[in-house]
Amino acid sequence: MAASLYAADPPETLRTVELEGLTLLYHRPSGLTHFLAPPAPQILEALAAGPATAAEIAARMGEAFEIESEDPAAAIAARLSELEAAGLVWRT
Amino acid sequence: MSERSNIPDDDGIGRPSRRVVLALGAAAASTVVTIRPALAQTAGSVLNCEIPVPAPQAGSGNFIAADGKLVPAGTPGAYPPLARPLKGEEVKAMLNSGRAPAGVNSEAAQAYANYIRRLQAGMSGFTCYASLQMPR
Repeated sequence: MAASLYAADPPETLRTVELEGLTLLYHRPSGLTHFLAPPAPQILEALAAGPATAAEIAARMGEAFEIESEDPAAAIAARLSELEAAGLVWRT
Repeated sequence: MSERSNIPDDDGIGRPSRRVVLALGAAAASTVVTIRPALAQTAGSVLNCEIPVPAPQAGSGNFIAADGKLVPAGTPGAYPPLARPLKGEEVKAMLNSGRAPAGVNSEAAQAYANYIRRLQAGMSGFTCYASLQMPR
């Protein structure tokens, strides 16, 4: 079975404010506001380049960050699930 | 949480080498908290509210593509409008656990779930969707 492809609304549909390591994000399409902790904002940044699988997202994040995790795939999958439930990410 | 590493700013030949360390944390950790609109609905009414798929004002004859966007009727790979609106309880189960409503296959349910996630304020079903996300 092919890996799920995830997508997010483009950055111009979001209003974000950095707050001491947290990101306050207003999602214009839904009118909802979210508090995000790393690595959720970085996942959305990675998706700004276009839809991607969890592995591709990890690769994009790896270009900008030194990833620290015992199980990156599981951690990113869990974060994607949260972002999906919040309506910030969806599967295509 | 991310933190700056202690690596020098460049590698001696002018090329930046400082890398930001990003800890992904445990899979069980939570990183998203949503502030929902204050909607005056009880838990009971939230589960009984309805979401038409698609909203009449969005074009009830349109099909729903896998990513939730509306496309012209008959578009290959897209799913037809639902004959009945979905109950809040069905939507909650679909969004949280991927459980398809009765009579809907799992691929179509994914498309309908994506449509609902893309609802905007003012569209039929948005208030219901926003209410479903309210913490209990």
